[in-house]
Amino acid sequence: MISVENLTKDYAGFRAVQGISFSVQKGEIVGFLGPNGAGKTTTMRILAGYLPPTGGKVAVAGHDIVAESLEARRHVGYMPENVPLYTDLRVNEYLVYRARLKGVRGKKVRERVEAVNRLCHLDEVKNKVIGNLSKGYRQRVGLADALVHEPDLLILDEPTIGLDPHQIRSVRDLIRSLGNRHTILLSSHILSEVEAVCTRVLILHRGKIEAADTPENLARLIRGGGLGAIRVEVSCGSEDARRAFAQLPDVETVNCRAEREGWSVLEIAPKAGKDIRDGIFSIVQKQNWRLREMSRVRASLEDIFVELTQD
Amino acid sequence: MVLWVLIQREIRSFFISPTAYIVLFACALIHGLNFVFWLEYITRNNIKDFTLLQATVNSFFFWFLLLIQAPLLTMRSFAEENRSGTIEMILTAPVREWEVVLAKFVGALCFFCVLWIPLALDFLGLRILWGHPLGATVSMELLSLAMLLLLGGLFLAIGIFASCLTRSQMVAAILSFGAIFAIFSLSFVVYLGLIGQTRDLVTYFSFLDQMDTFSRGIFDSRPVVLTLSGTILFLFLTERVLQWRRLRS
Repeated sequence: MISVENLTKDYAGFRAVQGISFSVQKGEIVGFLGPNGAGKTTTMRILAGYLPPTGGKVAVAGHDIVAESLEARRHVGYMPENVPLYTDLRVNEYLVYRARLKGVRGKKVRERVEAVNRLCHLDEVKNKVIGNLSKGYRQRVGLADALVHEPDLLILDEPTIGLDPHQIRSVRDLIRSLGNRHTILLSSHILSEVEAVCTRVLILHRGKIEAADTPENLARLIRGGGLGAIRVEVSCGSEDARRAFAQLPDVETVNCRAEREGWSVLEIAPKAGKDIRDGIFSIVQKQNWRLREMSRVRASLEDIFVELTQD
Repeated sequence: MVLWVLIQREIRSFFISPTAYIVLFACALIHGLNFVFWLEYITRNNIKDFTLLQATVNSFFFWFLLLIQAPLLTMRSFAEENRSGTIEMILTAPVREWEVVLAKFVGALCFFCVLWIPLALDFLGLRILWGHPLGATVSMELLSLAMLLLLGGLFLAIGIFASCLTRSQMVAAILSFGAIFAIFSLSFVVYLGLIGQTRDLVTYFSFLDQMDTFSRGIFDSRPVVLTLSGTILFLFLTERVLQWRRLRS
């Protein structure tokens, strides 16, 4: 659906995107992740046909974004950051205008506008003037706009920025449900969001792709395979516990996280690829401690992100 | 078809704001007062040297409105879209740049026409009531109207071009008023005692003279070519600027 080869983009005297290449297959939900200024918005604007690339080849739905811009744009539903809208129109008027502008004709216009109103939960505000809507509703109008002509590809730049947790959840559910029918490229600097929604993640930093894989694989990459750290809470002093667990053959490090009222919380990291859960339990048994938690510490996307993008 | 959708949006955006009606009312009032003043003046003094139409198209208020309307009508067009970012929504939709530019132009031209309807009605009313509006024939009136539209088109095109260069409406208005006023000022340069080819060249740009010529019922093709080609030039430049933003590398 998207193919990007060696894309570069220069702004006066500064290279914002430095030769990135990637492709997105039909049906994927791909997340662009990166700190502010990483080149996410620039790349998305190029894909949407708003900015021209400085170098490289970009094709959307098989159409070159420069040479066949019009055809490429027909296949894209784009929601820019901050969602600029005509604040003097009503929601319905705006969506009808956008649908017709994007080539929806005749009776289909009403049908599509009603469909996206329902999909994005805009029914109760459809006769309100956009200028009077809250940020959450405007965001949804932007999303409805991107969807109104049934594009193959959705490009969403920070779709949940500025929303409250309820709205974030509902937009996230909406995006996930859209994944059945559309290919989606979204950007975010909220890691949990990308982790929750995307089938694949591209981590962008200073105009380069630092990593590209599924969230699970990226997590494995960071931990070097295996299970990751084990978190235990046992009834003894932290120093005793640390010494005891450190004696296990496959343990890499033991860190004490907390100690209170006779209980200690420790995180025990195994050597790559080793399972130490059994060993931990036998030590607890031998020392006659009580155990009230043993869990796996999941390396979150956040760890990966910090690891890859630190200077 | 897409062009028509864009034009509808432009026309609506003019009529949606209450300021449009205030401007319309103000223009109608000024036209009306100006018209009545000259009507009164000509009938009282029994003047035969010039017609009411001629007096009107040579009057200060006629040109004041004509020169000031274009910057006011076009200062929003692209500047506001640039400022609010909605230009991004338009240009990422499957539309061509020239369609966007032409829609802006047609929208502005429509509202421009509406602003001059009161004056046309003044003349029409006089024709119906008195039969002959003080010497002017229908062809004189129609020629004047045509010249007015041609000039309006040129000024609006200049305004749209200025508007696409900036994200500030004020800057757009000042730029376009400056340019329009500069061109109009050439009408007076002739009186500075120019001779020879320079004088011919400047006369060619003298809208004041040309308007007067048309109001006497004389058709001259030169101003038609000048205003039309100027309009097309500025619309084309606007389209180039939008294109260039998409295609520059």
